[in-house]
Amino acid sequence: MSRRLPQWELTLVVFTLVAAAWSATLSPYYLSLDQILNSTRQFVYPGILAVGLAVVVVLGEIDISLASTLAFGAVLFSKFSAAAAPIWLAVPIVVAACAALGALNGVLVARLGLPSLAVTLGTMGAFRGLAFILGSETGYTSFDDSYLYVGSEELLGSLPISFVLFCGVALAVGVLMRRTVFGRRCYAVGLNKEASWAAGIDVAQLKIQAYALAGGLAGLAALVWIGQYGSARGDNADGAILLVVTAVVLGGVDINGGRGGILGVVLALFLLGTMRNGMGLANVAGPTQTIVLGALLIAGVLRPAIFRAVARVYRLMFPRLADAPN
Amino acid sequence: MSSEATVGAVEGPQRTLGQFALRFRVSGVLAFLILLSAGFALLRPQFLIPENLSAILSNAAILMIVAAAQAVILITRNLDVSVGSIMGFAAYLTADFAARNPGVGPALVLMPLAIGGALGALNGLLVSYGKVSPLIATLGTMSVYRGLTYVYARGQEVTSNRLPRWMIELADARLSGVPILVLLAAAVVCLLAAFLRFYPLGRRMYAVGSNPEASAFFGLRTQRIVLLAYVVGGVMCGLAGFLYAARVGTVTVILASGWELTSLAAAVIGGVSVTGGSGNVIGAALGAVVLATIDNGLVLLGVPEFWRMFIQGVAIVAAATADVVIATRIRRSLRVRRRLVRSAA
Amino acid sequence: MTGFGQDPTLRVAGITKSFGASNALADVSFEVARGRVHALVGENGAGKSTLVKIVTGILEPDAGEIALNGELVRFATPIEARRAGVAAVYQDPKLFPHLDVAENISMGAAPVTPFGTIDRKAVDARARQSLARVGVDIDPHALVAELSVAELQFVEIARALTADLSLLILDEPTSALTPAEVEKLFRIVRSLRDQGTSIVLITHRLEELDLIADAVTVLRDGRHVATRPASEVSRAEIVRMMVGRPLETLFAERKARTPGREVLRVEGLRSEGVFSNVSFTLRAGEIVGMAGLVGSGRSEIAQACFGLTPPTGGRITLDAAPVTPRSPKQMLGLGLAYLPEDRDGLGLIMSSSIVGNVTLPIVNRLARLGVVDEAAQRSVASEAVKTYDVRTTGIDQLVSDLSGGNRQKVAFAKWLSTRPKVLILDEPTHSIDVASKAQVHRMIARFADEGLAVLVISSDLPEVLAISDRILVVSEGELVAEIDPSTADQATVMMAATRNARERADVL
Repeated sequence: MSRRLPQWELTLVVFTLVAAAWSATLSPYYLSLDQILNSTRQFVYPGILAVGLAVVVVLGEIDISLASTLAFGAVLFSKFSAAAAPIWLAVPIVVAACAALGALNGVLVARLGLPSLAVTLGTMGAFRGLAFILGSETGYTSFDDSYLYVGSEELLGSLPISFVLFCGVALAVGVLMRRTVFGRRCYAVGLNKEASWAAGIDVAQLKIQAYALAGGLAGLAALVWIGQYGSARGDNADGAILLVVTAVVLGGVDINGGRGGILGVVLALFLLGTMRNGMGLANVAGPTQTIVLGALLIAGVLRPAIFRAVARVYRLMFPRLADAPN
Repeated sequence: MSSEATVGAVEGPQRTLGQFALRFRVSGVLAFLILLSAGFALLRPQFLIPENLSAILSNAAILMIVAAAQAVILITRNLDVSVGSIMGFAAYLTADFAARNPGVGPALVLMPLAIGGALGALNGLLVSYGKVSPLIATLGTMSVYRGLTYVYARGQEVTSNRLPRWMIELADARLSGVPILVLLAAAVVCLLAAFLRFYPLGRRMYAVGSNPEASAFFGLRTQRIVLLAYVVGGVMCGLAGFLYAARVGTVTVILASGWELTSLAAAVIGGVSVTGGSGNVIGAALGAVVLATIDNGLVLLGVPEFWRMFIQGVAIVAAATADVVIATRIRRSLRVRRRLVRSAA
Repeated sequence: MTGFGQDPTLRVAGITKSFGASNALADVSFEVARGRVHALVGENGAGKSTLVKIVTGILEPDAGEIALNGELVRFATPIEARRAGVAAVYQDPKLFPHLDVAENISMGAAPVTPFGTIDRKAVDARARQSLARVGVDIDPHALVAELSVAELQFVEIARALTADLSLLILDEPTSALTPAEVEKLFRIVRSLRDQGTSIVLITHRLEELDLIADAVTVLRDGRHVATRPASEVSRAEIVRMMVGRPLETLFAERKARTPGREVLRVEGLRSEGVFSNVSFTLRAGEIVGMAGLVGSGRSEIAQACFGLTPPTGGRITLDAAPVTPRSPKQMLGLGLAYLPEDRDGLGLIMSSSIVGNVTLPIVNRLARLGVVDEAAQRSVASEAVKTYDVRTTGIDQLVSDLSGGNRQKVAFAKWLSTRPKVLILDEPTHSIDVASKAQVHRMIARFADEGLAVLVISSDLPEVLAISDRILVVSEGELVAEIDPSTADQATVMMAATRNARERADVL
């Protein structure tokens, strides 16, 4: 809805390039296309979750149960695989089931009026519990190859299919938010839901649809997960929600709703991916990476302050560019 | 003439409807707890034996402290998902220190308190002065604190034989049959409850959670109050971490991960509102007991552990629903009553 | 009481304040004498609230000085002002709903025992004392969340009284009160005045000046126009000073209209505890005014018709088809539009642009297969800006940057973009400068001429009389009278509006 210049998005691109340059100095292997493409794998399933979460956050709500929905989806896939069901049958059903879980969140939030943090806190446990109940203790690893295809194979030698899927999802949802009636209404509700209701928007239905969309995308992310890790168990993606929320917040989506877009989220994911990649090459230990991630999340929210500083630099360098309202 | 009498006068027992509803919420949890226990007792009579009940309370004890910590923060309209990480960090550092200094006495307990307070202060600074949303801030510090624990530990764990004797004994000690841990937890919760109820600073915490704009307007030093809430929460988490280490013996790096959700669950079940301004630590402590009772009952019934997570989740949603339903009922009945009173005059 | 040579309670001299390029206040100077009820009037944007914010310490003036009881003061925070004896009570209550009345009154300065705990007995005593001084019977243990709007105001005043109050500022205190409550408030105000406190009363309701004010200050465009004793100045003069134009040219001329077919029929409409047995019809091409006191239920009736808060009983027939209002989406689709009284909070999305606001209700009509047609949207918005004469830098300008009058025009454009058959306007000229008011009246007349059935809810009696073809009067949730404006005057309408339900039988 805002016609301002995407200054935050530009900032993210700059930071990503800086991170890439740093990674290149650390290791000569960094600049190979194969390596970069391969490294995107890790961020596909959180990325798909982040795209779904972004829609919900724009509406002014939150959903911390998405990782649990993914676990449920993964375990459900395992059931289908065990029953020797064809992949083209399993995918729509699992996605639909996960969307139904999302819709449940939506109904609790929109029709019962419960605070979304409390609700998704509850469903985070409930859905994961369901995943545990449905699955087995040791986890399922004997997936049929067709199930693993999306998450593990490549096109043209080195382009991971999962990455292509992510780009497609991001593009589709990005267009959805910027160009369609649904997206326009989401932004309006995020800015002022009472006024949107009075203007004839069915706020409850919109929220349910958004949550269902996020849930369905989690089901898609589950497909990527099982291909990537080859296993399905109740504790899949436990804790992933931190990365997902970080990507959304760092991407410039306002946690109060009504502002921000998919492009920012995608760029934030690229930045996070580049940093993770670089840190891996620099042999930075996992726990330290977690610290950096946490710090980035906080920096992401201190964004307006950072933004103002960056804007000042822009104004000095390019006085003709318009200032964005913030 | 007659319409004048209606202004300001809300007569009779309805006068305390609002307070009644709030008190009802805590007694509601108590009632639920009793019902739950009765249910389990019917299905498995051994539920009621003193050793079992004592085990429930011991299990609940540490969670009670963390739930109370979470409650204090929730009351100011904030939250803290880094409680588990604070517990872990404080516990590990303290255990490691104790292992390196074998003769250390009970003054050791000051260390986790101080560490917890410092970590809580950082959370508080981010939220109140940095104006970062509490979910985001504590989601970030959750991983930072846990990561720091990892980095410090370098893969080692502290085994119980390296911890002070008195610390291990504390976990099992009893005073006339009641575990010291339970007494300690009850004492801490009661102190906190008294603070929130009787001291100006405690009441200001409710005010800040009830209407942050009005608080600022009336010069209530909102930022300092929120910071204090997080510090108090952090100190309690430090204590809880220490007690948990004493109980569990071997202190690993992942100690208490997942406790953030459980503490939130306990608080919500206990009637503390996620939107701030209402609820109390007693309710949160009762919520902790409810969760421990559910766990215990499930074990007795032979139900697999994963159901626990599911049931916990459902309990949170149910509690939140109950709060909303009650609030709507009150609002609706008040509106109708006011109009009726007015027109009947 | 007011001795010769005694310092005035408040003296402001040369107060100037600008926000960026706009001058909110320029060289404002006047005095409020002791023991006076001093009204402060002016149109929206005249600078009244800015002045109050400066006096109470929320803002700092760019220039000028303030003297309280003869001493120069400069407050940095409202708390400082309160301690010095200056307190303001605003329309939005700054109270804590989860706490009880007594705690609210003492919050921030509660009496403590030697142990440091709150002295609950003293808190209760202080609350009872303050409430008694105010003269209301409110249970100090009641939760603030349970109180009515009037009770909230009284508690706020009680709160302000805990310090030694020299100056009490009331910002539009009566806009949400019933007549009985207004009476009570004024009684309190008079008693406070007699006790030595000076009261500054900001109001848009000039009729109140006759009832309560001792002196009047008029501000216009940030400048002080005049300060006079209330007895020495007439209402017409005050309006002229506020506006710079005489009273008569304010309202559009009413011309005779022949209404067309019936478009809306409401029968026995009821909302539990709010209004009951409401029946009326609207015909195409007519303007029906709905008068009544604030709180009589007019907005609720309209909101029930619009589906904002569905009714609990009764029948509505729209364009000869029966309908049960369930949501604004449904009713807009059927051709009934409602422009809410809370224009900035409910009628518009402030942080959105003109084009965003205007096209929101019809966004799905300006789209193909769910994808928005940007060009169509922009042309609709540009068209609207032209048609409604919105003063703006462009359709991408944020609505929050526009003046009240222009926001109202955008709101009109928004609701009329849905091409309704029935248009309900709730206080359409509330908080608008007088020039825009006249424009709005002309637009309303044009809507009717174009065939819409228009219902205008208004608390402004001259306005209702001037623009309506017929007037429905609502009192305490019931439709008590239908009045022909050509044969009635303000007194008639007022009488009907204040008539108790029991006496209603005589009129109808």
